[in-house]
Amino acid sequence: MASAAKRLEAVSDTATPQIAFDGVTLALGGKTIIENLSLGVRPGEFLCIVGASGCGKTTALRLAAGLYQPTGGRVNFDGQPMREPRREIAIVFQDYGKALLPWRTAAGNVSLALEAGGMPTAERPARIEELLRTVGLPGHAGKYPSEMSGGMQQRLQIARCLAQEPKTLLMDEPFGALDAMTRQGLQDEVLSLVAASGATVIFVTHDLDEAIYLGDRVIGLLPHPGRIGIELSVNLPRPRDQLSTREHPEFLRLRRQLFDFIKATEQ
Amino acid sequence: MNRTALIWRVASFAVAAGFIALWQLIANLKLVSPVFLPGPDRAWAALMRGFSSGDLWSKLAGTLEHMAYGWLAASIAGIAIGAIIGSSRTMRTYVAPSLEFLRPLPVSAIIPVAIAMLGLTQAMALFVIAFGAIWPIMLATIHGFAAVEPRLYEVARSLQMSRLAVIFKIALPSASPDILAGMRLSLTVALILSVVCEILAGLDGLGHWVLLSARAFRSADLFAGVILLGVTGYVTSVAMSLAEHRLLAWQASQR
Repeated sequence: MASAAKRLEAVSDTATPQIAFDGVTLALGGKTIIENLSLGVRPGEFLCIVGASGCGKTTALRLAAGLYQPTGGRVNFDGQPMREPRREIAIVFQDYGKALLPWRTAAGNVSLALEAGGMPTAERPARIEELLRTVGLPGHAGKYPSEMSGGMQQRLQIARCLAQEPKTLLMDEPFGALDAMTRQGLQDEVLSLVAASGATVIFVTHDLDEAIYLGDRVIGLLPHPGRIGIELSVNLPRPRDQLSTREHPEFLRLRRQLFDFIKATEQ
Repeated sequence: MNRTALIWRVASFAVAAGFIALWQLIANLKLVSPVFLPGPDRAWAALMRGFSSGDLWSKLAGTLEHMAYGWLAASIAGIAIGAIIGSSRTMRTYVAPSLEFLRPLPVSAIIPVAIAMLGLTQAMALFVIAFGAIWPIMLATIHGFAAVEPRLYEVARSLQMSRLAVIFKIALPSASPDILAGMRLSLTVALILSVVCEILAGLDGLGHWVLLSARAFRSADLFAGVILLGVTGYVTSVAMSLAEHRLLAWQASQR
């Protein structure tokens, strides 16, 4: 509860955005994928982006990561233009199987981020153990990713991202490939991890319920080219609960509004 | 080892023993003149005699030395050049046609050139062996580096890893199964070229031993040398497989 309160405070008391899209346009191969997108994400905010496939959700996330440079407009991080990816911004990819090093154990994969951050060798084991415990993988340090289930691999990727001690966590449909039970468990874990770290989150998903359940704000993109079509503030109490939150009248109202929007874009 | 595997192993030994028995039979019946074909008994005796006198040891050491130096030089150069070419699309585009021209070139065609430039020397042998053995390693490395999962490069970018760290922590380990397979192929090439160079340049080694034995019609010694070469090829290849198995333990569960 205390962490949730701290979170809300963090969201409300700072007005300057941590990540700011300022009239961002991105054209790849002569095709405009995102057009004139302006968007600010406040420090500590949990922003969800939804939209039909091909609306540029993932592209927007890659722009926020610095993996793409906009062809028009600017992406700023803490008021500075983003020229390249940075360690303060961690990305959780959907395809966890491709984003982990298969030749390194769970501990080794977490270690990669610590090595990149220049942590002395002697300090790494304790930190690795702590991170693996945080994501619910204690006792799996010696396993290779190929010996782990999809849910465990995604937890491992999250642990590696946490090892970056990110100010911003970008998540690209992180639970899209997981079964419903695993997904709900991980949703709650991500919420508590984020609450504890105070990180800003941009979370891309095609699951509208997931977006409302997790987010402080949900943005729906329109396709061809990608632009903002709807913006909803989610005023649901935290911590959220899989049963009571999803039965909350406000949840149902937002859900209806978002479904209507998506349905309209598909016509 | 389970039961089926054991039966297969026993069967394979039985086949080998059968071939040796057939060889002995042919020799005993003198279907081929004993001047050209000794029986396994005489070949074995010659092998033992060669070892006890110490002659074969030094020849074996010579061949192993040629093979090892040539192979190591090829490995280092092949991995380094392959890494440079493989990690850049531009390089691959520019260099690939030249590689396609050089690759099918029979190494034996290089030997006269090497002899003309370096003489009948150890340096010539080293050059020829390395030149022949570099191709499988280099091509495997190029392929391995080109096939690194692009997602991992994005992970590296977001971690702001240095170029060197990306090569040693991501590209090289990712390419290691390809590289090791190339190195195993090259091992055989290195052995073949060691023998060829010893025969052509009269360098100390089993190739030279085999040549001299043949010229002197000492067929038992000749076969002793041939057997020893076969064993060398087998043992080095098994050692390489064991090393591969150890280094690629992380792959075991994926297979």
